[in-house]
Amino acid sequence: MHHLHRSARRAAATAAILLCAVFVAPIHAGAAGKVSGTVIGSESVASGKWLATVSPAGMTFTTSTDQTATVANTGTIALSGISYKVTVSTPASGSPTFKLYTCTVAWSSNKCSGGAGTQVGSTFSKGPATTVSSTVAIAVGADEYLQVEPTGVTSSVTVTLGTSINPATQLRSPIATNH
Amino acid sequence: MSQHRHTRMKAGRHGKAVVAGLFAMSVGLLTTAGVYAALSGVATGSEAVTSGTLNLTLSPDVGTSFSNFTGVMAPGDTDNVYVNLNNTGSLATAAGMTLWVAGTPANALTNGTAPGEGLSVTATQCSVAWTLAGVCGGSTTPILATTQINSMNTAGTAVGLSNIPSLVASTGKAAHVQVSLGLVATETSTNGVAPTPTIQGLSTTLAYTFTEQQRVGTATNQ
Repeated sequence: MHHLHRSARRAAATAAILLCAVFVAPIHAGAAGKVSGTVIGSESVASGKWLATVSPAGMTFTTSTDQTATVANTGTIALSGISYKVTVSTPASGSPTFKLYTCTVAWSSNKCSGGAGTQVGSTFSKGPATTVSSTVAIAVGADEYLQVEPTGVTSSVTVTLGTSINPATQLRSPIATNH
Repeated sequence: MSQHRHTRMKAGRHGKAVVAGLFAMSVGLLTTAGVYAALSGVATGSEAVTSGTLNLTLSPDVGTSFSNFTGVMAPGDTDNVYVNLNNTGSLATAAGMTLWVAGTPANALTNGTAPGEGLSVTATQCSVAWTLAGVCGGSTTPILATTQINSMNTAGTAVGLSNIPSLVASTGKAAHVQVSLGLVATETSTNGVAPTPTIQGLSTTLAYTFTEQQRVGTATNQ
């Protein structure tokens, strides 16, 4: 009985397809579409990096003797300035203070080209970290030179230097390219 | 067993009978239609028609058009290219156009993985050709305000360009467009290390896809 129903349904479906083929095709032929045009342009682009490191990042003072560090632009974009985060540890005794100077050439006998260099920030002492900014420009691959000058060191104390670069204010001037 | 086979055979015979009947009915319908047409007579009218074409092409307005940006882009930099969008088909376009920009590979420059950062696009139309210095000797019309690519990086998120008039194939068929690419960045690098995610040090190839639509269909009575 089931077979009979299946055969009848199959036959009806076949006939329906035959009839539909006759009457549906013209309806599709009359359907309207909208034409669009597309074009593609291609362009490659790469972003730069704004990075700077300081070495050594930590200096331990047991006497009031100046120490130096080197800052390197390790990115691919010239910098117009760098921010330094200065942290002074708590010494066992005394209340030492420190000053930070920059120079575009290496320090020689505590001098920057015979001068004192450019002071960054004011005076640092133990307590929370302080962030100060230098406006000395550094080209890609170039260095900036720091000198930390202590006063009143009577026991071991450590000064830690970190760098940070804010793209809004510490990168070279924007460039417009037309091509 | 024998009764089942008899039932199956009977069912098969009935199925064949139904197919035969319906097929005969189909043929009968078609035959009847043919006979009716033959009895009605035939009149033939002739009409020639040609379909139009809608072709959008890209050509340099000045300079090299879309090409590789040399060097590396810093936040705030702009990379300007000058292109003509030409309707070279025989149909006028509708006013307006859409644009989407895909990056390959997709990365933080184009896919929004570094929130608030990445590449952006601005487009401006000039009434005459641009100069390579970025000067428009006529009047400028903004057609796309600065838009982050991560919000228009698929066909489904293509943005509509404003103020583009219909491009008529015979006259005024080109739109002179300055496309400016920019880089937006807010991330601070610390101790020589970029944050995660970052837009620094990435490369991608951008595909700018412009799409136009045909003018509205017209009804002609003749």
